[in-house]
Amino acid sequence: MEEKLLKNLDENLKILKELLPAQDVLTYSFETKDGVACAVIYADGMVNKQLLGELVARPLTKITLNIKQNDGGRYETNEVQAELQEFIKTTLLFPELKDGTEFSKLTDEILDGNSLLLVDGLDTGFIIGAKLLPVRSISEPPSDVAIKGPREGFIEDIKTNMTLVRKRLKCPELRFETLKIGKRSNTHVAISYLDGISSQETLQKIKEQLQKINVDCIVDSSYIAGFLAPRKHSVFKQVGSTEKPDVFCAKIAEGRVGILVDGSPIALTLPFILTEDLQSSEDYFISPFMASVYRGIRLTALFVALLLPALYVTAQIFKMQLLPLGLMLTIAGSVQGLPLSPSLEIFVVLLLLEILKEASIRMPKYVGMSLSVVGALVLGEAAVSAGFLSTPAIIVVAVSGICLYTVPNFVETGSILRWIFLLVAGSVGVFGIVLFVAFLLYYLVGADGFGTPLLSPFSPLTTQDLKDTIIKYPLEELPKRPNVFRSKNKTRYRPNKTDSKGQEQ
Amino acid sequence: MTTTVQRIPAMPKSKTKKQEGSFNARQLCFFSAFIAPLSKLLETPSLLSQYALGDLLLPTVLQYLLQSSALAVLLFILSKTGKGFFTLVNEKLGNIGAKIFYAVLSAYFLFSSLLPMIELEKFSQAVFYDTAPFAFTFTPFFFLSGFICVKGLKSFARITDICFPLFLLSFFGIIFMSVGETDFESILPWFEFPFSKIFDAVKFTTSHFSDAILFLPLLGDYRYEQGDGKKIYFSYWAGGIFVLLFLSVFYGIYTTIAPAQHYAFTKIAQYFPALKTVGRIDLIFVYLLTVILFFANILPVRLCVLCLEKTTDCKNKIVLSSIVNAGLFLFVFFFNKYQNTVFELVTKTLWWVFPVFSVLLPVLCLLLLLGNKKPKNRTRKNTVKEKNYAR
Repeated sequence: MEEKLLKNLDENLKILKELLPAQDVLTYSFETKDGVACAVIYADGMVNKQLLGELVARPLTKITLNIKQNDGGRYETNEVQAELQEFIKTTLLFPELKDGTEFSKLTDEILDGNSLLLVDGLDTGFIIGAKLLPVRSISEPPSDVAIKGPREGFIEDIKTNMTLVRKRLKCPELRFETLKIGKRSNTHVAISYLDGISSQETLQKIKEQLQKINVDCIVDSSYIAGFLAPRKHSVFKQVGSTEKPDVFCAKIAEGRVGILVDGSPIALTLPFILTEDLQSSEDYFISPFMASVYRGIRLTALFVALLLPALYVTAQIFKMQLLPLGLMLTIAGSVQGLPLSPSLEIFVVLLLLEILKEASIRMPKYVGMSLSVVGALVLGEAAVSAGFLSTPAIIVVAVSGICLYTVPNFVETGSILRWIFLLVAGSVGVFGIVLFVAFLLYYLVGADGFGTPLLSPFSPLTTQDLKDTIIKYPLEELPKRPNVFRSKNKTRYRPNKTDSKGQEQ
Repeated sequence: MTTTVQRIPAMPKSKTKKQEGSFNARQLCFFSAFIAPLSKLLETPSLLSQYALGDLLLPTVLQYLLQSSALAVLLFILSKTGKGFFTLVNEKLGNIGAKIFYAVLSAYFLFSSLLPMIELEKFSQAVFYDTAPFAFTFTPFFFLSGFICVKGLKSFARITDICFPLFLLSFFGIIFMSVGETDFESILPWFEFPFSKIFDAVKFTTSHFSDAILFLPLLGDYRYEQGDGKKIYFSYWAGGIFVLLFLSVFYGIYTTIAPAQHYAFTKIAQYFPALKTVGRIDLIFVYLLTVILFFANILPVRLCVLCLEKTTDCKNKIVLSSIVNAGLFLFVFFFNKYQNTVFELVTKTLWWVFPVFSVLLPVLCLLLLLGNKKPKNRTRKNTVKEKNYAR
């Protein structure tokens, strides 16, 4: 099969039909004023047909190209070809217009949503960027709601997402490097960073990792995150993610590298540190004092979420001294006569919680109300009244469940850890909990990703970076970028010099 | 601007000097001040008060003087040579000599971890359970120990950063809860008891205070810089002050019945008045200190595995760690009923092993200085800048 375009339009169309036999790849044929045949090949539903008609077909039908065949059936020479190409380009005046000759690249462009213009007598094709892909409108992301602050969220279209980022970082240092990943999906992936601020070493490692990905199909950024994660079997997140462009830009401005994936509203950021999940974008829109309080609340809620069910179980089985006497008697009264052991009881209630959570995500909205009633009344009230479960168990699991959602990015990891803590507490007691905490700490201090320790800035200790972890200092007291990202340009805030009367100099 | 990446050229190999050493000065200071003291807060207070009663601070000070002197010798050696101990040993003793040295060290570290393991097992049973637990409850500890032994020393260095706030919070938490019940006058007058009692207290608690030898492998690949010695030395004494404060409070609460109060840091805060209302919240601090205690007790095992690696040239840490930890597990399982026998053997019969290794051996390390040229003064300014800040 030919690799490059031929001068004969019909033969080119025949080859293209063999390469793209799908019925949604259409051909729109027309002629110039002097009868030279032209054709636009495009994928139906991906192009702006009105633009094609107005800006491509209509101008071409009004010009003469004078492409003739000589008696031997041969077309004009290459010098004339180049003139003709320029002539067509200036006639079309399309903003996104490039040319190509290889069938492989041209078919990729068609499948990407671009249109291909072929002219009989020219062995060059014109790729016209007249895409009109179906995308949804920009809206607030459901996973990261802010009472104060921007409400825009990324959508599935990578170009729109790049625009949202460009809108917020209007500087020439902002770079987007695009590549295609996925042998069959050819998904566009854009690596976004600030030149001179992001670490070149990290950037290079990320590029190398992305280039190594050899998979059929990438449909979401989570696929990329899986390939980029240094430890494939870790329960802990190793790649940061966000649906908000303001958060994405803030992270890049700190020295991270961002990755946008076509088809996914979730952008990735690297390197990742665990304290990111404890922070919310809203922390930067409210007073630093309140932000510190909220972060402390989130951290406390996280510990409660992970440890409360385990401590409840272990207090009943192994170490009653953990509870005050009055509370211990109340719980003892509630659990009297229950058929299940404390660990099994909590296990069942946790399982019900996870099932309810999963069902509420999957079910149609219409039955949501019914399921809430079933979950709350039937499973809660009725189970307690029937003596299957105790009220303290339901309270403990409910509190734990609510607390875990104060840190939504940590929910998946937290759910798994909660189960493990429960298992350990039920079998070995508080000793097991303490051992597991020691194990987790030791595991986390050794977990590095792209040269950045996961527990930064606590370990290794970086006092300067601690100013924006649990305690939030005002922006004026954060003049340097976090050390952990090893940015060359460390200064992000330059205070204005004022004289003694408060006037700027 | 949008550019399309065509091909990524391979990153050229870094021309900066390969970073040596697992610990930096800060982490060694944190280890000295916040991890090393933990081994003295468990059985040592009751032991000291058994022999020295109200004068328990004096043998502690003497122990710290001995150990800090040995530590100072080690730091002095590093300051003069600019090389880590592993390099010095390999250069001076040769390959075979170095292997013998590491083999002896690994045997010592294994021996020194026997008694603390049994104590820890008894501690876990007494503190974490209301009733006697089943025989294998301590087994998971060896999985943690095995895991830590497989990881590099860099992880242990980093865990010191985590132990710093944990220790401060929990230590001062229990001290705050205890100080209200403390009668500080009970440790007075000093020198009330004859010196022989003080000497006995020093002799029979030497196994709990032998810290200097732990620094030798930790400084194995250390890159000494000017000023590090003082920081580490004074940090070690800071840890000593924590221990002295703890002992004062401990004896101030229990006085004459102190010898019977095993697992001291679990006991001193239990009379805090608020506990009757809110429950044993002091146990939160106890559990946090226990986390640090685990690391403190596992360190000798980790160092044993490290020395075995150097002896056998076996790169497979999993095998070595499994063998050592399996051995310790069997020891604890079979000998936990003979705690007193093990105690007598380690602290009374073989007590001399500890000063030989923790005091005499560092002094003998001065011989490593022979023939070594004094290097250029390494300061923070004239050392190669570490591009990779993370340790």
